[in-house]
Order: sequence, then C-alpha cells, then structure tokens
Amino acid sequence: MKGKIASLPMSYRLAVTSRVLAAVFGGYLVAALASVTLTMWLPLSRAEAVVTGMTISFLVYLVAVLWCFACRTAWSAWVGLLVPSVILATASGAARGLGYA
Amino acid sequence: MLLALLLCYAGFTALCLSMPRHHDELLGHKPSARRARHLKLAGWLLLGASLWAAVAANGWSFGLVDWFAVLMGSALVLVLLMPYRPKLALLLAALSLLATPVAAWAQC
Amino acid sequence: MKEGFRQAMAWLHTWAGLLFGWLLFAIFLTGTLAYFKDEISHWMQPEIPAHAIDSAASLSLAQGYLQQHAADASRWVIDLPNARDPALSVRWQDAPAERGQRGRFTQKTLDAQTGAEIQPRDSRGGEFFYRFHFQLQMPYPWGRWLATIAAMVMFVALISGIITHKKIFKDFFTFRPRKGQRSWLDGHNAVGVLVLPFHLMITYSSLVIFMAMLMPASILASYGTDRDAFYQALFPETPIPERAGQASLLPALAPLLAKASEQWAGGHTARVSVINPGDANATVQLSRASSDRIAYEYGHDVTFNGVTGQLLGATPDKPLPMTVASGFYGLHLGHFAGPILRWLYFICGLAGTAMIGTGLVIWLGKRQLKHAKSGVMPFELRLVEVLNIASMAGLVLAVAVFFWSNRLLPLSLSGRAEWEVNGFFIAWGLSVLHALLRPGRKAWIEQLTVAAVLFIALPLLNALTTAHHLGVTLVQGDWALAGFDLTCFAAGLFLAWAAWKMQRAGLSVRVKKAPRTAPGPVTLEQRTH
Repeated sequence: MKGKIASLPMSYRLAVTSRVLAAVFGGYLVAALASVTLTMWLPLSRAEAVVTGMTISFLVYLVAVLWCFACRTAWSAWVGLLVPSVILATASGAARGLGYA
Repeated sequence: MLLALLLCYAGFTALCLSMPRHHDELLGHKPSARRARHLKLAGWLLLGASLWAAVAANGWSFGLVDWFAVLMGSALVLVLLMPYRPKLALLLAALSLLATPVAAWAQC
Repeated sequence: MKEGFRQAMAWLHTWAGLLFGWLLFAIFLTGTLAYFKDEISHWMQPEIPAHAIDSAASLSLAQGYLQQHAADASRWVIDLPNARDPALSVRWQDAPAERGQRGRFTQKTLDAQTGAEIQPRDSRGGEFFYRFHFQLQMPYPWGRWLATIAAMVMFVALISGIITHKKIFKDFFTFRPRKGQRSWLDGHNAVGVLVLPFHLMITYSSLVIFMAMLMPASILASYGTDRDAFYQALFPETPIPERAGQASLLPALAPLLAKASEQWAGGHTARVSVINPGDANATVQLSRASSDRIAYEYGHDVTFNGVTGQLLGATPDKPLPMTVASGFYGLHLGHFAGPILRWLYFICGLAGTAMIGTGLVIWLGKRQLKHAKSGVMPFELRLVEVLNIASMAGLVLAVAVFFWSNRLLPLSLSGRAEWEVNGFFIAWGLSVLHALLRPGRKAWIEQLTVAAVLFIALPLLNALTTAHHLGVTLVQGDWALAGFDLTCFAAGLFLAWAAWKMQRAGLSVRVKKAPRTAPGPVTLEQRTH
C-alpha cells in the first residue's frame, strides 16, 4: 500500500459506505420480504410456512450482501436491491389480496 | 466409525496422489496420466465406500454426521502430516486399506 | 468482469474478516470449549461425584428427598444425571404468595447414588463459556444481537473466502510450512477448506437458532401480534389439569421412566417435572434427553397423571420444516455426540478458531512488511496489533485464569461464581493493557508464556488443592476429570511451543528479499473494464 488509509479519496469512502449501508439495511429488507413472500405463497400450514421462510431468508441476505459489493457502482447496489424488494412486496401483497395469507 | 475413517483416509490419500504435484512430493516422481486417473477413481470410490460404511453403521442421520466428521478429520490429519512426515502419511493409508476387512468384519 | 468479481469478494472477505475477526475468535473459542461444558463443570465442581448411571434409582432418591423437604411445593423439577453430567439436581417451586406472581425456586444438588445433599462450590462452570459465546456477557438482548450479527458477517466472510480462493481444488491438500507468510495463508486455507462443512453448518445454524429474533417479519405477516399462537403451533403442549384440591400421595415415579421410554422407542428421560405433587390431579411430565436424536427439540415431553399413571399426552412428531430447523439447532449443539464425535466437534471448532486467528495474523503481517524498514507502525496497524494480541493470547490467558480462580478462591467466599468470571475479565483487561505497553512481538511471547505456564501447572494446582487429581482420577477411570487435566497440560505445551517459535522468529536474521511488486490495495471502486 503506497499511501496510508488517509490518502483514499472521499468519493471512494462514500461509495464504500453506501455499499455497506445498502448491504446491511437494504439486504435485510430484501431478506425479510423474501421471507414474507415465501411464507405467504408456500402451500404449507401457517407455522410451517413461517419456519421455512425464516430459515431460507439468510441465504437471500447473503446473496444481497454479495451483490452490494460485486456490482459495478454503489448506485447499482441500491437499485439492485430496490427492484427485487418491489417485486417481493408486490408478490406478498398479492398473496394477501388473493386470500392466501 | 472406524471403517468409515479408514476408507476416508485411504481415499483422500489416493486423491492426493492423483495430483502430479503431491505424487511428486510423496513418491519422488510424477504419475503417468493413466495412473493419475486410476488413483482419482480409486480415491472417489473409497470415499463413497466410507459414506456407505458410515450409514450402514448408524443409519442415515447419524451416519451422515459421522461421515462428514470423519471426512474432515482424516483430511486434516493427511494435510498436516504430509509436509512433516510424508512417509508416515503414506504408511497410514496403506495400513488403513489393510485394516478395512478387519474393521468391516467388526462392524457387521 | 470475472476478475473484478473475485477482487471485490477478496476486498469484502478481508474487511469483514478483520472488523469482526476479534469478536468471532472469542465466540469460536468459547463455543468450542462449550462442547465440553459438562466436563468443564465437572472439573470445576469436583464435589459432585460421578457414579454409574441408574436413572430409576436416582429418580427414587430425588422423589424421597422432595417428599421430605418440599411436600407442599407447587412444582418439582428433577434433572437426572447422565454420562456427561453426574449431578442429580432437584428444584422446587413454592406456591406463589399472591396470584399472578411466580413462586420462589429452590435448587439442591444430590448425590446420584446416595441421595445425600451435596454442597458443590459455587461456580458457573462450563456454562460460562456456553452462555458467553452467544450472549457475550452483555445485557439481554444486546449480546445475542451482536453475536448473531457477527454470525451473519462470518457467513459472508466464509462465502466470499470460497469465491476468492481460486485454487480451492488444486490447493486442497497444500500446506507448506516454514515459508513465512505463505505458510500462514496455506494454514488459513487448510483449516478453512478442509473443515468447511463444519464452518458452514455452525454459522448457518447459529442464524437459524435465533431466526425468530432476527427475522420476525414472517411471524408478523402471518400471525400479526398473536405471537403466542405461533409458539403454540411450534411447541404444542399437553394441557396440564388444574389442582383438584384433594390430597393424594404420589406413587413412585420410577416406573414412569420405562413407560416414557416406550413412547420414544427406547429414548431416555433427562428431566422429570411434577406439577401439583401431593394433589389428586398431580401431573408428571417426562422430558426427553436431547442426546437421543440429532434434532434438538425444546420440550419433547410425555405427560402422565401422577396418581393413576394414565398417559395424558405426548409431544407429537414435528412437521418437516420444524424438523429441519431443529436439525440445524441439534447439529450446532451436538448433544447427540458420543465421546469420539464430541472430540471431532471440538477439533473442528478449534480449526474454525484457528481459521479466524490465522486470518487476523495474515491481515496484519501483510501490511506490517511494508512498514518493517521504518520501524514505526502507523496508528491503524498498531491498533490491529494490540487487538490481535489481546483477543487471542489475552483470551486464552483469561481462560486459564478462570480455571485457576476456581481452584484458588475460598469455597466460602460469597459470590464466588461471579468472582471466577471477574477473574476472567480482569485478566483479559490486563492483557489489553499489557499489549498496549509492550512492543508487539514481546507482548505475544510474554502473554503466550504466561498462559502456557498457567495451563501446564493446572493439573499440579488441581493436585495441591483437591483430592481429584490425576493420581486418583486416572486410577478411578473418571475420564472427564482426567481428560480435563491432560487437555489443559497439552494446551499449555502448545502455547509454550508457540511462544518459543515467536521468540526464535524474532531472533533469526531475516533475509530481506526485494519486495515483489506488491499489488495496490484491493479497492472496490478502482476497476478498469
């Protein structure tokens, strides 16, 4: 490392911070929505569906976190989480509306 | 668990030997393509046999756990022995193979 | 593009690993010790004698004791001894003074063979390590939140590590010692890859164990505010009949053990609870030993009417999703493991601890090389160095002090158990101070040496302070006690060897190779496509 940490540009620091926030909070949101969507749609009893949704949610969280750091820009981290969030929220809302819940 | 362990260790050693770099380290020369293939096949067969041995001994749920434990344990032993006592590592594999019929008889 | 992905994962692995490494090292080390928590407790409370297990006899003794001392209690709880935990423990709950209040609990330990009351020294025993590894000595619920956040970071670090490790198959059997930084990386990869099934299982299962706390969204979406309904569906309970108000002598409980075992196809009872003993509607609940199966199920019971012996209910088999979740829980706890498998669990745990530790050492080592010539370490690296020493050597030292205080603190000291724990944290705190005041290498050597001496001398201390030393335990065949002494001795030898290696590495003249063109810092945003 040529310089010390202090020499990294502010834009870099902001981008990293943005990705971390996206991963931690955005990732959690996607995971929670995925958990709920699974719970609503799985053809199992209520308790079983809840347990299944929760158990699988951490895999979703993992993928979301990896995405936030693998994608090209910090902006695409957020967009890449927003799109599945909307889809999942719609899906679970639809389950509710259709009376599956 | 003993039979599964013996088969696992032997299997891992075979797989290790099938890699030219390790074959060279352990036996002093690189393997021919044919030998490497045979070692690889033998290695995988032995690992498969160890899975069967573990499940046969304790059923599917306990057997699978035992197998993974034995898998990880024997891999650690082999990898830690190789740089320090390569001859011993090979000897243990040979002994494991020799002892398998005895262990199989003891298990069944 | 692919190169960019791997680089990004390497960056993620490096920083996630560093920032949470110190905490994860502590979690892994104490969790690993927890696999032998019963044996540790047995050593720390040697007053509880270990006998051959006779559940029916022990249960009868416990019942006799409770009939004599707690006939008016509203609830009895009897914890039967087992192969790993020799204690016969009885608890009773007095009827609450007012409605809605909980009655007072009293606990006593009995000799499993004679039924006589024992006063073991007040100590948390191995439970301390068990509780610490997921509660971190922090007030509820903050400790477990921090620990589970660390678990999620561990999961990310594991997967990103796998992705980064390009030659994961090629280098599967590769370990090249005596080559400096290269060896540390080989070691890190070896304990990581070879034990990967365990690492993945232990990390994911720890998230599943706390999933109701971590990911409640599904419960809220499905059950709304009626959480109790969810837990009732999860853990169906046999309803307990109300007090009849009619006195009735409780018959012998021991025969119920066989009845329960029948229900469980040969399973074992770990706990017997009697609700309303002495009443006509006395209810006896037998809870199954968690060592019977892999799936860890909270509250797997068979319930009988205490007076008539009639079966009132049994916990039904769980549906598949619950069994899978319980399977994760059970795999994590390893209650079902016999002695050999338990040692393998322990070794895998140590491997995980070593994986984290080597990672921390590599992180610093790589960057230290660049500053070796100037002799002055920038603040960030010095901070990492101090944290590395304190969180690893310091922690191990603290564990030794915990055991030493168990043997040295006076038996009659009030709050003895807390003082043992205080000793642990005081020692750990002192190790931080020491690491701050001493140069890095010296601090490592000194702390490792002190820890080594403490562990090596522990069996001797045991012999000087109790009658349960190796001379006796090896002869009697008390393998838990003997094993503890021997393992501590071996641990001490390992620490002494580590200290010696560090000393030698410091003394040898290092041939300064011309630094290879070191790649720049792996930064996330600086990628050209």
